[in-house]
Amino acid sequence: MITTVTLNPAIDREYFVEKNEVMKNQFIYNDEDLKVYPGGKGLLSAINFKSLGYEDVQNIGFVGGKQGMFFEKMVQKHDIISNYIYTESEIRNNVKIIGRNPATYTQYNDYTYRVEKEEIDELIVRFKRSISESDCILMSGSVPEGVDFDIYQRLIKIAKKRDKHVFLQASGEALKLALESKPDVVTPYFKHHKTLLDIEMNTKEDYIKAGKMIQERGAKRVMIPFHCDRLLFDENGDVYQLSPEGYCIINWLGASDAYNTAYLDYAFNTEEFDFLEANRRGGAAALWIAENKEIYIEDREKYNSCLDRLEINKLEV
Amino acid sequence: MSYVKDYMIRTMNSVTPDDNIRKAIILMYRSEQSVLPVVDHQNKFKGTIYSNNVLKNIIPESFGFLDSSRLFYEVNEAVENLKHVKDEKVEKYMSRNRDAVKENSDMKKIADIMLNNKESLLFVINDKGFLRGFIERSNLLHYLLDEAENGSGS
Repeated sequence: MITTVTLNPAIDREYFVEKNEVMKNQFIYNDEDLKVYPGGKGLLSAINFKSLGYEDVQNIGFVGGKQGMFFEKMVQKHDIISNYIYTESEIRNNVKIIGRNPATYTQYNDYTYRVEKEEIDELIVRFKRSISESDCILMSGSVPEGVDFDIYQRLIKIAKKRDKHVFLQASGEALKLALESKPDVVTPYFKHHKTLLDIEMNTKEDYIKAGKMIQERGAKRVMIPFHCDRLLFDENGDVYQLSPEGYCIINWLGASDAYNTAYLDYAFNTEEFDFLEANRRGGAAALWIAENKEIYIEDREKYNSCLDRLEINKLEV
Repeated sequence: MSYVKDYMIRTMNSVTPDDNIRKAIILMYRSEQSVLPVVDHQNKFKGTIYSNNVLKNIIPESFGFLDSSRLFYEVNEAVENLKHVKDEKVEKYMSRNRDAVKENSDMKKIADIMLNNKESLLFVINDKGFLRGFIERSNLLHYLLDEAENGSGS
């Protein structure tokens, strides 16, 4: 069983229009111009794992209200085991308007979702009993309003006490606190602020310094997005830079989730784990997503075709 | 051959025997399910809690007869009873039946089990007894419709 955690899921709605104009009524008649899908970092990875043929994949988190039920149905359509705490508050809806000519992208990000203390306590209880079948837990994404930033720290502590391998993708204060519970692999992401552990990320040296600090604070291995590259921090202290070559990005959405999935898929299927090879697989999957309109990976063969366009160089630090 | 796993609903929505009835009721109305699986602390299936079982224990016996003059009084009595019952453990009200079906079971057997047990919903477990979800009559009908339209049932 693979367990993924999504604390702040959303229903993502994409509207494609010829030209996005203010104060103009838009009419959408073609269903290809309207996409509705379940969103949330851990969840996208769960869907990817199913595409790769994993039998049992569960997604743990919160959903709320009638729209939460709709969200859950969409998740179950992917044959993922839903494991949600139902909240009083309605789940989020993110709206994206994509104009074709000129090419525009307007996002309305919904941050109204709120979780109550009783619901958080219930999540902790449910999490404890739901990870018994999993060796690896992937926790990814933001934390909703009402949930303290130490939530990942608490969940990781529970998982580590049961000898589970933890892969964490987080940002900000939640990431900082989570490190105290010593997750195995950490990959930060940037959304609102380009800081890591309160360090402003400007130069490559800043990224390297932050990566080292994350390791000093408890993570064994770290991967930090660095523009279109990734800086890789192996557990022996070596630092590498993974770079794609000759690429044309048309879509960011789902790329980091594909990276996480392919990294872990490699780890699950090898006897002798090679950190650099795991990242090559991750990079290939992210590159395939970035060059296609898809947000989910389809099969290994497709993304492995990108492997020879990835270069890894060791950095002198 | 079609299997339960091809038609089931995958969900871990559940309570444990030591959860209280209040929690079970909240979960029932938020998830729109009047029957919940009861699992242990490892998520292994242990039994079922039916909303009917809870109702039977809080509503006076005469409730259900269309005696409108007593209805208000009896609803109030049920509310009073629930004040005590809500803090009691699920353990006390659950059914310890083991009529869960395995996810790899043949769908043809499900009709038989559902009709013989008069169950509209069966919980689904894996070979080790861990909860995987449930299958209900609408899923059974979905399977039968597929069979009818693909002609393999004839």
